[in-house]
Amino acid sequence: MGAVSAVDINKILEKAKYASAVFSQLDQEQTDRIVRAVYEAGFNNRIKLAKQSFEETGRGRWEDKVIKNVVATQLVYENIKDLKTVGVISDDTKSGITEIAQPIGPVLALTPLTNPVATVMFKTLIALKTRNPIIISPHPKAVACSIEAARICYEAALKEDAPEDCIKWIDAPSLDLVQAFAGHKDLALVLATGSANLVKAVRGAQTPSIGVNFGNVPVFVEKSADPAFVVEQILISKTFDNGMVCSSEQAIVAEKTISDKVIEELKQQNCHFLSKEEIKAVEKIAIDPSGGMNDGIVGRSALDIAKMAGIEVPEETKVLIAPLKGVGPDHPLSSEILAPILAFYTASNFEYAVKLCMDLNYHGGIGHTASLFSNDEEKIMEFASMMNAGRILVNTPSSQGAVGALYNTLDPSFTLGCGTAGKNITTDNITAKHLLNIQRIARRRISGRLEHFDQNQYFDQTLDAKEIEKKFNLNY
Amino acid sequence: MVRFIVEDSGAGSKNLVCNFSGRMDTASCSECENELFEKVTELKAPVIFDMQEVDYVSSAFLRICLKLLKTVGTESFSLVNVHPNVKKVFKIAGFDRQITIS
Repeated sequence: MGAVSAVDINKILEKAKYASAVFSQLDQEQTDRIVRAVYEAGFNNRIKLAKQSFEETGRGRWEDKVIKNVVATQLVYENIKDLKTVGVISDDTKSGITEIAQPIGPVLALTPLTNPVATVMFKTLIALKTRNPIIISPHPKAVACSIEAARICYEAALKEDAPEDCIKWIDAPSLDLVQAFAGHKDLALVLATGSANLVKAVRGAQTPSIGVNFGNVPVFVEKSADPAFVVEQILISKTFDNGMVCSSEQAIVAEKTISDKVIEELKQQNCHFLSKEEIKAVEKIAIDPSGGMNDGIVGRSALDIAKMAGIEVPEETKVLIAPLKGVGPDHPLSSEILAPILAFYTASNFEYAVKLCMDLNYHGGIGHTASLFSNDEEKIMEFASMMNAGRILVNTPSSQGAVGALYNTLDPSFTLGCGTAGKNITTDNITAKHLLNIQRIARRRISGRLEHFDQNQYFDQTLDAKEIEKKFNLNY
Repeated sequence: MVRFIVEDSGAGSKNLVCNFSGRMDTASCSECENELFEKVTELKAPVIFDMQEVDYVSSAFLRICLKLLKTVGTESFSLVNVHPNVKKVFKIAGFDRQITIS
């Protein structure tokens, strides 16, 4: 396709609009047949696409990308297959409300470097399930694998008589292009999972968007937790695809009474604690001069990062741990880093630990995810109420936990709503239900109280709220 | 799939009325497209698509409409007897701004 011009954008969206029009005629059965075919095609190509994604991006682990592809296809399909997305989805005689699901129109899907293929397949499935055409705008460093995933999905959809152009893609993505799409009148929604610049670029556009915010996930190890289990779970998450999931743990905050045991377990399970000098060396390569994460280390292994930083660590090292005393710009490794690097804090008590977690949460990760290990329900509730996070994960590896379906019953998703803190309308794990316009037929049901209440009394200035309520509720 | 009728529209002029029926999917569109454009070229008359018996239109049918619009112009192309669910397709596609649909 080459560089995409304004004329091309018009053409792409025109075709997507036609696809949207044709889609509107499909019933639930036809829609579900298409979704089933696309799921199967994506699932059957899970290994090929994982390897291609690894080869193209050079990041993460292909074996973990297979698991991501399984979540994005099989588990997402399981989650949405029985969802009613066409026509009447609920009908309540008592309230007189009937709900009808309507498609929203063409969706622009920005997909990230960290989960390119899985995000394409996930967004395609939820878009098709809701009869919406989708336009994939892949990360510039993961174009080929993303387009291959989209192409596989499209071919499978067409075989089941899906509308032509129901899946489209851009092969020369750019910030300008995304902005131009997002400002186009024919686009219905942007599903923005991508770099901070891209997410920001679409926020100001006239088209509504759902964009994933930065994460900076604190994991609090409360004193009632089981240290061996905690460390095992955190490592399952932090080593998964070399820590590239945005909901992966960024800092461990351990209460003092349990901290030594946690440190001991981390060491036993092949984590390397960085010295002060090593922390400085890692900071230089992990954080760029502007204070943001250095793209070059995203998804690299702990050994690769150690080599890049010029420090020696044992061959079996899984994660680099940086013991820190504070949070913020003076402590660069307290920021989000999508690689196997973890900050570590010892907190003298529960209150101090919660405050540290709040600092981490507010240091670039509000709205996203927080995690804790605890067997004390009261402490879990207290911790949760202090965090500004859409997901509070309990006794769970946070990479896999936030994505849903594997360790809990959250909807499986590769787009994690971050609430108003992340300039989103929801903290939900985004799924098919978010790509529908719900019409409500509201039948006449007059309130019995209102009917028997003399409404002239509203014009009597001498009657205050209490008196009106009393009369309004008389004999009710 | 389609029957062509040449009707007198008064004052010596004629209309080409195309009566479509059933699902206008990709296969049925490719079956009738050539014949349709041959008739249009031959008659050089305004074209009316009678959609009374059509319950589904595909992207291919929308393409035929666009092509025809370019060939004969807005004034000489209209769709009549369109079912509401099919009219909705033309509305969503934005065709109602270019083609008279009733």
